[in-house]
Amino acid sequence: MPRWDESLRCEEALALLEPLIDGELSAAEEARLRAHLERCPACAAEWKLAADIRSELRALPELDCPPAVLERVFREAAHSSVVPLARPRRTNDGAGSSRRPFWAALAAAVLVALLAAGLLVQQLSRPRPPSAAEVERATAEARFALAYVGEVSRRAGLDLRDDVLRKHLVLPAARGLSQSLQQSLGPEAQAPAVPGAVPGKGRS
Amino acid sequence: MGFEADVARHQRRVFSFAHYFLDNREEAEDVTQEVLLRFWRHGSGLDPDGVGAWLLRVTRNACYDQLRRRRSAAVNLPTAGFDVEEAAESVAAPEPGPESQAVAADFRRRLQEALGRLPDPYRSVLILREIQDLSYQEISDLLELPLNTVRVHIHRGRQRLREELREDYGDAAVG
Repeated sequence: MPRWDESLRCEEALALLEPLIDGELSAAEEARLRAHLERCPACAAEWKLAADIRSELRALPELDCPPAVLERVFREAAHSSVVPLARPRRTNDGAGSSRRPFWAALAAAVLVALLAAGLLVQQLSRPRPPSAAEVERATAEARFALAYVGEVSRRAGLDLRDDVLRKHLVLPAARGLSQSLQQSLGPEAQAPAVPGAVPGKGRS
Repeated sequence: MGFEADVARHQRRVFSFAHYFLDNREEAEDVTQEVLLRFWRHGSGLDPDGVGAWLLRVTRNACYDQLRRRRSAAVNLPTAGFDVEEAAESVAAPEPGPESQAVAADFRRRLQEALGRLPDPYRSVLILREIQDLSYQEISDLLELPLNTVRVHIHRGRQRLREELREDYGDAAVG
């Protein structure tokens, strides 16, 4: 056995246990440490404990979230009054665009207003009052219109601010649509989760 | 990538961290739900490459909040506390079988209990390093800590686990 193996003290050996665990020792360092562990029962016991802890922790599995929890998440997200911001567009310098052209918001406004008005006219022109399911579907379609506008504008490189759309365009349109339809339904109708029309179900 | 795809990609990491950090499945489910809904509300403004780190940071903070709620409930409702030993027995009781399996299962159970008692940041860094297999650099980026600090935390966390488990280890040595 080389002379320098015998010069490794216990403190030095213990300090090398973790680099050994993490596989960070050179072959020479590892050989020197293992030589010490063969001679020193106390350090060997510490090494055994450390290695067992490491292997047991490594054996613990990553766990799948129960499907029921994910279903609740998707359900709440679908009924949430909050529409997520569009993801920032990637640019070469890694920064998303922060300028939101006014004309883009205006175009979105016109589109959303037309969609909402079309739905409203379609519902109100019916000979019978719409059902609660139809009201919910209409509001869902209005919400989808918002998401669609956001996605289209994102693909076109136009980052529209969600709060601008929501505050000035979609909420008034959706609120008007919902109120009109609920008037048609009568007081017994249950209002669906229209953004801004009823308290949202999402957690704060 | 859409919300559902992001959730599918990251749900295991979020739920596993919460589960091992809190050592409680129901609380981990609540935390996961809360985190994913927070991701729905705010996460789509993130750089796609940063989603995983953002989720784990939010999960860790949500776990802290959950621990605070747990402590608060324990203070307000003393009878609501549960027997950790009994709970651990019911969850991780070893299957009948060879003695070595029972000994290994007992060691595993005591290890998980010790991990659950470990103060943070040691608990977080060990979960991230040993269970979730993140590199030192990834943990450094995730927790926004200097690399050397992460090394020290992991070193001290491992030391504390050894101190907790050293007693009677000879009887329960694995393998």
